[in-house]
Amino acid sequence: MDFVEKRLTERAKRGDREAFAELVEIYKDKIFQLAYRMVGNRQDAEDIAQETFLRVYANLHTYDASYKFSTWIYRIATNLCIDRGRKKRPDFSLDEEVEPGQGLDWYSRLSSSERTPEDKVVTQELQQTVQDALSHLQPKYRSIMILRYIEDLSLQEISDIVKLPITTIKTRIHRGREALRSKLRLM
Amino acid sequence: MECREMVVLIHECLDGETDELANQSLLNHMKTCSSCRQHMHELQRVIAFVQSASHIHVSPDFTARVLSKLPAPTKKNLFSSWLRNHPFLTAAAVFFVLMAGSLSANWFDRNDILQVSSANMDKLKIDRERNVVVVPAGTSIDGDLVVRNGDVEVQGEVRGNVVAIEGKVFVASTAQVVGNTESIEAIVDWIWYEVKNIGNDLLPIMR
Repeated sequence: MDFVEKRLTERAKRGDREAFAELVEIYKDKIFQLAYRMVGNRQDAEDIAQETFLRVYANLHTYDASYKFSTWIYRIATNLCIDRGRKKRPDFSLDEEVEPGQGLDWYSRLSSSERTPEDKVVTQELQQTVQDALSHLQPKYRSIMILRYIEDLSLQEISDIVKLPITTIKTRIHRGREALRSKLRLM
Repeated sequence: MECREMVVLIHECLDGETDELANQSLLNHMKTCSSCRQHMHELQRVIAFVQSASHIHVSPDFTARVLSKLPAPTKKNLFSSWLRNHPFLTAAAVFFVLMAGSLSANWFDRNDILQVSSANMDKLKIDRERNVVVVPAGTSIDGDLVVRNGDVEVQGEVRGNVVAIEGKVFVASTAQVVGNTESIEAIVDWIWYEVKNIGNDLLPIMR
């Protein structure tokens, strides 16, 4: 796999679009998955994934082949997600009204007390719960939890991606798990 | 050991970073401490919960859309990718340029002295005043006749090519030339002539 990727990146570096298209095929779902779990909706996630690949293409000449390609592309995607979060932060608040004039805010939708246990089994509900729980984490914890448990990367690789020492990664995972634990207790 | 230290150990265990000894002490502690046991279970649930996030797929036309947004390839890229895709033509072009260079150097280096090359020099008549090499009527010359810086007048027979470089070939009605007659007056002709010669020399080998 690594060998194939090396060949593809070398060809793409020389301007071969077919090789680049193959790289997109290999990584599109992984990158989209990361972006979707970070921002929580398809449209923004696809925009981020697209931007990621365009940046990869534009910066291929700076890619250092001694790193894994996956490390590099995950780094670009993670940074884009976090930047997007910074820009878009104020556009959603739990205190906002769901529909103006009805007096209902988003907190009313969060309460899970009226849900029956059977409802929770429904996959879609569960997926929504995962997404909600993740979205309550700070981005720096959220990204690392996603890389660790959804993208299934090793601590070492995450450390390479976010360029932080492995001890910091461990601390963030510990805190992320604890935060989710208290979150899930409430649900 | 205290529960607070145990929580650190629990996390290390979940990261797969504990050794046998630590695992043992953790297990022993959890046998007696229900809150730590509870804590461990909840953290395991958290992990399973995040991992349960189903893998979603990007829309099918994603790759096509990304490719359509790539910047158009520059002229330079197009040229270099053309070169890569046609290695043989590239090599031929490089070869041709180098050959043309060395041959044209040959063209400029010459002096203006009349030069004749033939196997039967004795049969030729050289008219110094008119700068003409004459193949007299009734004589026959074997092989090619090449003259530089002068004209050639063929009245007799030549069993080969007649070439005049920077000169003209005049063929009389009595003349018989087995090969071609050629007069080379421009550098382009010269290069073409040399390349042709090389080709003719190589062809028999390839056959």
